[in-house]
Amino acid sequence: MARKITYQQAINEALDQEMSRDQNVIVMGEDVAGGEGSPGEQDAWGGVLGVTRGLYHKHPGRVIDTPISESGYVGAAIGAACVGMRPVAELMFVDFLGVCFDQIFNQAAKFRYMFGGKSETPVVIRAMYGAGFRAAAQHSQCLYNIFTHIPGLKVVVPSNPYDAKGLLIQSIRDNDPVIFLEHKALYTMEGEVPEESYAIPFGEAAVVREGHDVTIVAIGRMVQKAQEAAAELQKQGIHCEIIDPRTTSPLDTDTILESVEKTGRLVVVDESHPRCSMASDIAGLAAERVFGSLKAPIRQVTGFHSPVPFSDTLEELYIPSAAKIIAAVQSTKEYK
Amino acid sequence: MKHIHTIPSIGIVANPASGRDIRRLTSKALVFPTVEKINMIERLLGAFGAVGVEHVMMMPDMVGIAAGLIRAIDGHRAQGLQPWPVVDFVPMPLTDSPRDTQEAVRRMRAAGVAVIVVLGGDGTHRIVAGECGDTPLATLSSGTNNAFPDLREPTLTGLAAGLVATGAVPVSEAARRNKLLRVRGSKVDEIALVDVCVTRQMHLGARAVWDPATIAELFVTFAEPDAIGLSSIAAMLEPVGREAPRGSWVRCATSGLGVLAPIAPGLVTPVGIDEHGLLAPGRPMQIRTEQGCIALDGEREIELNGHQTYSVTLELDGPLTLDVPATLAAAVRRGAMVRDLIRSAAP
Amino acid sequence: MTKTLTREDLLKAYRTMRTIREFEERLHTDFATGEIPGFVHLYAGEEASATGVCMNLTADDHIASTHRGHGHCIAKGVDPVGMMAEIWGKKTGTCKGKGGSMHIADLSVGMLGANGIVGGGGPLVCGTALAAKLRNQPFVSVCFFGDGASNQGTIFEAMNLASVWNLPVIFLAENNGYAEATSSKFSVACDNIADRASAFGMPGITVDGFDFFAVYEAAGAAIDRARNGGGPSLVEVKLSRYYGHFEGDQQTYRAAGEVQNIRDTKDCLMQFAHRVTSSGEIAQAELDAIDAEVKALIDGSVVKAKSDPKPTEADLLTDVYVSY
Repeated sequence: MARKITYQQAINEALDQEMSRDQNVIVMGEDVAGGEGSPGEQDAWGGVLGVTRGLYHKHPGRVIDTPISESGYVGAAIGAACVGMRPVAELMFVDFLGVCFDQIFNQAAKFRYMFGGKSETPVVIRAMYGAGFRAAAQHSQCLYNIFTHIPGLKVVVPSNPYDAKGLLIQSIRDNDPVIFLEHKALYTMEGEVPEESYAIPFGEAAVVREGHDVTIVAIGRMVQKAQEAAAELQKQGIHCEIIDPRTTSPLDTDTILESVEKTGRLVVVDESHPRCSMASDIAGLAAERVFGSLKAPIRQVTGFHSPVPFSDTLEELYIPSAAKIIAAVQSTKEYK
Repeated sequence: MKHIHTIPSIGIVANPASGRDIRRLTSKALVFPTVEKINMIERLLGAFGAVGVEHVMMMPDMVGIAAGLIRAIDGHRAQGLQPWPVVDFVPMPLTDSPRDTQEAVRRMRAAGVAVIVVLGGDGTHRIVAGECGDTPLATLSSGTNNAFPDLREPTLTGLAAGLVATGAVPVSEAARRNKLLRVRGSKVDEIALVDVCVTRQMHLGARAVWDPATIAELFVTFAEPDAIGLSSIAAMLEPVGREAPRGSWVRCATSGLGVLAPIAPGLVTPVGIDEHGLLAPGRPMQIRTEQGCIALDGEREIELNGHQTYSVTLELDGPLTLDVPATLAAAVRRGAMVRDLIRSAAP
Repeated sequence: MTKTLTREDLLKAYRTMRTIREFEERLHTDFATGEIPGFVHLYAGEEASATGVCMNLTADDHIASTHRGHGHCIAKGVDPVGMMAEIWGKKTGTCKGKGGSMHIADLSVGMLGANGIVGGGGPLVCGTALAAKLRNQPFVSVCFFGDGASNQGTIFEAMNLASVWNLPVIFLAENNGYAEATSSKFSVACDNIADRASAFGMPGITVDGFDFFAVYEAAGAAIDRARNGGGPSLVEVKLSRYYGHFEGDQQTYRAAGEVQNIRDTKDCLMQFAHRVTSSGEIAQAELDAIDAEVKALIDGSVVKAKSDPKPTEADLLTDVYVSY
């Protein structure tokens, strides 16, 4: 039995192991150490939630605090990657994409193609995402769908500690720019994680639960919600198959479509807003490719087309719940 | 002979290019921002207005001093503050080169301004001196390492200039005569106010002389041990006062004995000396170096190609400049700074 | 310290400037025929800047460029024949016809790319410079940007970042007086871009961009300073472009005779040729020979570009990860 650590510790361990393996790996971002230039402790924060804590002293000179200048340092990470470094830049909240999107989608994402395949940009941009912390509209979005839309980027959304470690190691070793998104509600989640280094390949979905009645595709934190729902539905005699894509780009379409062909029913659970979302993308894919296998309309369980609200009563209404997933599964199962 | 204007008028020349050359990289000088040049002119205008100067002729430019000043004047007027003189920009075509300064000074002199205030470095003052005749200059440093212009609060320079322009202090008590160096070649007749430096650098390049290792020969009008710049090399050998009727010359060496000289901000370096001596007025000295450049007041202006000969001559009839402390002291002696508060406070 | 330009250096500088001029003049002519796809932004008139800067660099140093990037590419050592094919959209181009005029890059000679985004290069050179610093390599990075980009937040962020990390970066502002059609006299609040340097704790200087020797020396001082650990600096080069923002721009925003006057009085190639021939360093015949060689090179590059194959459907989805 492997030891259990948290999602947050798994990320820290992946960074630590990769930094030890390869001197070209550096970590940079706002307060990734914290305390730079101040009279007190260096490594005071280790990231705003302490995810990178301890790396500063273990890897001298390679955990680099930055000014609050996302375009500046995300762009610098991209530039350093162009000359063979493997920077891991932390964007803190994915919402801050808004102040550095050019560097990500016009620069990093396009170099390899635009330069005729003669450059590589092995940069990782880490950011936390998601609702549930009463962090309100500007600190609670998902946005993986925006990155997924952009060719040239790879997008990773681990749902558990094991995947977080293996996928982050793969992200650092990958030669394309990778957006690595961590749901803030998962940081304290515990799970079995091997101590040794391992990489999980991109584009390989995990079948989290096997079943033959309904396929549930769930992204990131929604995998947990889907599991709650599936456990309840099991009691009602409905056997759900849960698929966690783990990476939205590349997307493991084979595993998703094979499952839908088997069950004939699809529910997609995506915490983000419904329009142009991963939910609508996967639903469209199934409708186009395996229409003949479908026994019922595809159902999407998502947030609303509204900013994420602040008040706890509203935010809980906003976030897709196990109850909503259960209702969606039941409706597709009952469709005649 | 001295003409007192019915409407006292002062000219202002502010070199838009000063304070931004290569020496910010090589000698820790700060870029001298346009905004600060405008501020300095505003402070001059405040002093002019206070002593009754009613008109200013301002050199136009293409890089924002004039534009900034127009905004400042509008803002000043809108706030109803103590009146400034009317500022007219000299109507002239611009070339964005030192020719603009020459043209502006010619026109100011023709219009009969009483004083020309100059903001710039040694180089700017050299260009103004070539055109100003006997119109006195009020000098203000807005360059890098300057020996010629004053490093002084512009309000005080403005007061002195205003007192001379309004006739409150006569030029004879306010102004001092300066020396100059004349460089002559077959097609060349140029002046320098402080120094003529012959460098071994082959091209005009970035203009400023910043590398002490390239200096071959140096001629100076005055050499003060407390002045920054190339003239300090001569000063550390034998000081020559600003009003002494002589100058000095130095030939540099790359070895042997030398002097420690503050040749640029932050740069105090030993400079090897081959020989040196005094420069008598009216007696040309030949430049010996064949390959390199002649720098006038710190800026390379003439490339030497070995085919032409050049000489340097000290002249004693250079431009007049205001002695600000002497001018203000004279104003106090004459009671020119006394005001009746009740009358001047009346609407 | 002062670097002396050898005869070989002078010949190389002239050849580089002439190659850029010939390349751009030829594009100007050919664009009018309608055969060249997309849009091109020509560097003619600004040659002394790219050349004066890049003569101080090696292939291990990096530059980031702008949408007006052909001159920077040539000065940094990108092959003009491949560039011409790229601009014509051919498979043999520097970027296999996938980048075009605004995206020519060649990492093998330290050219991080022309850039279609105004101000995009500032953060990137902070990265290449950071890599050099972390690896203890004596390499510098230069970000070329224009007066338009000088108002972009990315440039401010990059200048601050370069200063706080003390990076070997030179911010090389090419102030040609116009951001597209808008005068820098209107758009740059402090008028001289160099004035902004002090706000970021670095030295700033202004230099005459029509004079190769002035740019070479000033940029050289900034580059030496950065290479020796002295940190970043801002060099503003004042110059002018001979053509529009893009080809086809009627330039009605410029004064009548403005460009012709500059061509007649300040042209960098004219000034350079006059200086080196009157000093006796180079003979006019040597310059004429370079002119002829460069013309043959560019003529040949156009002939080749016209006849080279275009990319095919098989090239559409290479060099990018395709998800589904």
